[in-house]
Amino acid sequence: MDIDPRQYENTAINDDDIHNIVLSYLVHNCYKDTVESFITTTGVTKPVVFEDMEKRKRVFMLALEGDALKAIELTEQLAPGLLDKSKDLHFDLLTLHFVELVCSRKCTEAVEFARTKLTPFGDVQKYVEKLEDFMALLAYEEPEKSPMFHLLSSEYRQHVAESLNRAILAHANLPSYPAVERLMQQTVVVRQYLDQEQDKEGLSHFSLKDFLKS
Amino acid sequence: MGVVDDNEPPSKRLKGPPGVSKEDTLHNQIASTSLEDSMARPLSLQRDDETIGLKGIIKKHEFVKIINRALYSLGYSKTATILEEESGIPLHSSAVTLFMQQVLDGKWDECLNTLHNIGLTDEALIKSASFLLLEQKFLELLRKGKHMAALLTLRTEIVPLSINSARVHELSAYIIYPSQFLALGLSDQDTDIALSRAKCLERLQKLLPAAIMIPESRLEHLVEQALDVQRDACVFHNTLNSELSLYTDHQCGRDQIPSKTLQTLQEHKDEVWFLQFSHNGKYLASSSKDQTALLWEVQEDGQLILKHTLSGHQGAVSIISWRHDDSQLLTCGTDETVRRWDVGSGKCLHVYEKPGAGLISCGWLADGDGIASGMSDKSICLWNLEGNIVECWKGHRTENISDMAVTSDGKIIISICRGSTLLLFNRESRCERIIEEEDRITSFSLSKDNKFLLVNIVNQEIHLWRITGDPKIVSKFKGHKRTRFLVRSCFGGFEQAFIASGSEDSQVYIWHRGTGELLAKLPGHSGTVNCVSWHPMNPHILASASDDCTIRIWGLDKPKCKGTTQSNGKVHHQPNGRT
Repeated sequence: MDIDPRQYENTAINDDDIHNIVLSYLVHNCYKDTVESFITTTGVTKPVVFEDMEKRKRVFMLALEGDALKAIELTEQLAPGLLDKSKDLHFDLLTLHFVELVCSRKCTEAVEFARTKLTPFGDVQKYVEKLEDFMALLAYEEPEKSPMFHLLSSEYRQHVAESLNRAILAHANLPSYPAVERLMQQTVVVRQYLDQEQDKEGLSHFSLKDFLKS
Repeated sequence: MGVVDDNEPPSKRLKGPPGVSKEDTLHNQIASTSLEDSMARPLSLQRDDETIGLKGIIKKHEFVKIINRALYSLGYSKTATILEEESGIPLHSSAVTLFMQQVLDGKWDECLNTLHNIGLTDEALIKSASFLLLEQKFLELLRKGKHMAALLTLRTEIVPLSINSARVHELSAYIIYPSQFLALGLSDQDTDIALSRAKCLERLQKLLPAAIMIPESRLEHLVEQALDVQRDACVFHNTLNSELSLYTDHQCGRDQIPSKTLQTLQEHKDEVWFLQFSHNGKYLASSSKDQTALLWEVQEDGQLILKHTLSGHQGAVSIISWRHDDSQLLTCGTDETVRRWDVGSGKCLHVYEKPGAGLISCGWLADGDGIASGMSDKSICLWNLEGNIVECWKGHRTENISDMAVTSDGKIIISICRGSTLLLFNRESRCERIIEEEDRITSFSLSKDNKFLLVNIVNQEIHLWRITGDPKIVSKFKGHKRTRFLVRSCFGGFEQAFIASGSEDSQVYIWHRGTGELLAKLPGHSGTVNCVSWHPMNPHILASASDDCTIRIWGLDKPKCKGTTQSNGKVHHQPNGRT
């Protein structure tokens, strides 16, 4: 059961809302140049965090590449106190550096680093468990072949970098997720819920992809 | 062909009986049953298939080895070494001895080498043993602060074994968390290293096949097995565990069952209907048609003396119930009241009665803060100590036969309902279970562990029911006489392994609970024996109550001094009997 397209005609959309949605997406991902031309074309107001976007992008790229220490330095400048507040994030960033050391086979340094920087987190059980996982990488001459190889992957780095990005935005009192993402998620969830209610067998699935194409 | 190790002291070579050639005995070694294909061959040239003992099933070299092991365990290493020399049977092959020493010395690389020489063929076993050794090496390196060396061991030696990756995971964390493994007890002390290496050796012993490394305590284990078998086979077994001896096969004689009247108590003036020892065995309470209950104290020498007379009932007293702490007791009788008495003073603390209905049976609730009574109006009432009825259940019938029991945890109330049925009422869950008997029930008795019920039936049988889960009959006991009167039975003896009952032929009957075999009939009374009670602490004392107005105390009949099958455990035992 699909919604009658004519119902869309009855719903009013504000142009400004659309502009803001697009802008929030661009800001979130630090597309500074695109933001500039967008502002010029549409005439919306320059967002407050314009200058910071450059720095935030740098932090994100550093984390993505695994240069965690630099990323931490810049984060302290950009969002002071953030890492103190968010221990999870701090820990995850430090582990990125640890992983770097392991990948470059610098085992002694890795052990030292772990002992000095990571063990202080040791009073909380979940960090201990995570740390165990990371330490297990050291036991293998080829960490890529160890059971914990996923910790070395770019997916992991991506995950940490994105968390960092979100945290910095939140710290500046900005939304941590671009509006368009939320809207898409909202649509899918609501449609799925409705489908379930209407059609208990769940035969008709809502596909966002198809919807966008139609 | 075996190779004689040159390092062996000369005394260990060529000890075979004269005339037996070297080839011969080695042949036998190959032909004899061995547990492993490449079992380390003992260097003695005695025949491997030599046996000792009458039945020829004990292999001599195994026998000597486990004795040897026991000697080492006891700390007699000098004797043990001499035994090895004299018998020519070394406890372990030289490779194994070397291996064990290397473990204790912490020479890990040599150890791993030797491991391959001790005769193991199972690859997986070798790996597991190597893992244990390397783990110990790793932990010791950490203890000394050599983290990188430990890491190296982990990476290059342990991980390639490709087993136990979960443990590898844990070990890698120890590198930076010394506190975690310090908790394992590896501190800086030298003695602790020795201890932990000894523990490592223990773990290896458990892992490796017994033929290669004789397990510790093997001899002790075999002896304990034998004792267990003897004890289980002993039908009259009525002695404490401390009496088991290795010198003779344990066999309690008939003389372990009480069989002789030690004392006759004649203070009652009429038929004695009920008696019961207190939970701690310090007192005996008896009740009689003479409307009194008597409280007896059991003295150090086993003699009973009258302590208090509890009078007040207006009719025969038929039931006594002891409080769990033995400080008070309840009596109930044909006057349909229940009285509560203080044991210390003998005073009546309270009289429980209900206008319009009679109390015909009674029992304590587990915490001793309340009592339960069966009523003549076919209900069961719960009272508080002050005499107020707290709860009442109707809906099932209790007959006038006054029997009620409450399990010691207070949860289940058992009563006779409808003649041939017993009701088990669970107070918490409010659920009822039924035991259907084939004939009318006259009395019943609950075991100490609340799991069994002894039920006396009109047809002169006593049935033992298990009441955990679905009630089921376990055994039947017969032989005694019961036609007209109420006769009671009880559990008793060591671990409640016996059943005793009264009988109308004036004798006390005793059966073995496990086999149902009638063990003894004790004559002495001149009237129906109504009730028996076995002493809860001393398995050799039994009391019986009879229509001849007396109470008899039974004990062992002049124990002969047969080794250690005597029990002179604690108290209440008359070695020379008394009439």
